[in-house]
Amino acid sequence: MNTTVPTGPLTKKDFESDQDVRWCPGCGDYMVLAAVQKLLPSLGIARENFVFLSGIGCSSRFPYYMNTYGMHSIHGRAPAIACGLKLARPELSVWVVTGDGDALAIGGNHFIHAMRRNIDVKIILLNNGIYGLTKGQYSPTSEQGKKTKSTPMGSIDRPFNPVALALGAGASFVARTVDNDLAHMSQVLARAAAHKGTAFIEVLQNCMVFNDGAYRAITDKTTRDDARLVLEHGKAMVFGKEKDRAIRLCGFEPQVVHLGKTPVAPSELLVHDERAPHVTLAWLLAQLQGPQFPLPLGIFRAVVEATHDELNTQLHEQARASKGQRDLQHLLGSGDTWTIEPSAARSAAWL
Amino acid sequence: MALMINEICVNCAACEPECPNGAISAGDPVYVIDPDKCTECVGYFAESQCIDVCPVECIVPNPQRVETREQLQRKFEQLLTADS
Repeated sequence: MNTTVPTGPLTKKDFESDQDVRWCPGCGDYMVLAAVQKLLPSLGIARENFVFLSGIGCSSRFPYYMNTYGMHSIHGRAPAIACGLKLARPELSVWVVTGDGDALAIGGNHFIHAMRRNIDVKIILLNNGIYGLTKGQYSPTSEQGKKTKSTPMGSIDRPFNPVALALGAGASFVARTVDNDLAHMSQVLARAAAHKGTAFIEVLQNCMVFNDGAYRAITDKTTRDDARLVLEHGKAMVFGKEKDRAIRLCGFEPQVVHLGKTPVAPSELLVHDERAPHVTLAWLLAQLQGPQFPLPLGIFRAVVEATHDELNTQLHEQARASKGQRDLQHLLGSGDTWTIEPSAARSAAWL
Repeated sequence: MALMINEICVNCAACEPECPNGAISAGDPVYVIDPDKCTECVGYFAESQCIDVCPVECIVPNPQRVETREQLQRKFEQLLTADS
């Protein structure tokens, strides 16, 4: 590892490790790495206070390429390790980089509990909709009908929607971005970094080798403006190359309206509110997808709630205030304890 | 003409080691080609090596640097002289 200690203000270079990046040429992961390395120097946090944790998968090679502390840990368990680390060292900036297999298949349980606990860690899920590292089997986010090596006649499983899953599990910050839009990804990552609590970011990421073009509609220059809805807090949900379409609600049903063709008052258009205390709007947006609807990108939800690490610290302080400073020996010798007499132990051995 | 990298680049660095002139480097936000060093591989190869290897086809002729094959050949020779 590069051991030079930076003296002046940190730069992107300070966060680049000396390891050769071993993702396939053209992989979307490179963009996420570049965006994260570019963001970190702006956060005003010392380099030694960053930690990047991962599980298993292509995405999970991320910590090798960061010149920070990190751990390429157990498959699906990076959120658990992150929670433990944040409780032990609350002053650290803890990041998890995971994939659709790592977070949503083997790690599904850890993922949802990290969301509900609202511990102050950032979780980036690189969603390529396939198992890339094992050479192309369907993943929990592969669409129905997808033909892969393990689903030769097409997948019959309904996919997870990671944004909806995170919202359902109670996440306080949920966002979605896309690998080839560095500007948008950088904005979303900066917001996630500033959030207190679990910040979940789904990055739609192209796998050149095993799932190329999975997100073409929203990444291709010619189609993306019509296929994506960029969410902006406090603004009406207008989209399209000509900004001529919008979303409105008819009861609980979202509808796409053509602004030039349908007479529609501005007040009828759905306005984004990422701070809505109730999850309903974010949940509804999470259901939108093509071809009927544009796919929403941006911050679905960003609400301030007590974090697990803050509550844990308070709990410790309360315990110390009411019971005084105790040690482990005191705990082991307190409460419901008993002593086994040597003679009794011998009798027991006989029996 | 020299080549350039457009915004489709994903920073994968596949092109960097292929360039015989050492013209490609990491930039912000994407990789960049130094037009003073790019000969489109004239002098070394029949095909531009970076275009061949780029997985996302983001390397295109640089309209700011229109050069003939003969000019590129001269640039190649000048670069060789400068190196030696």
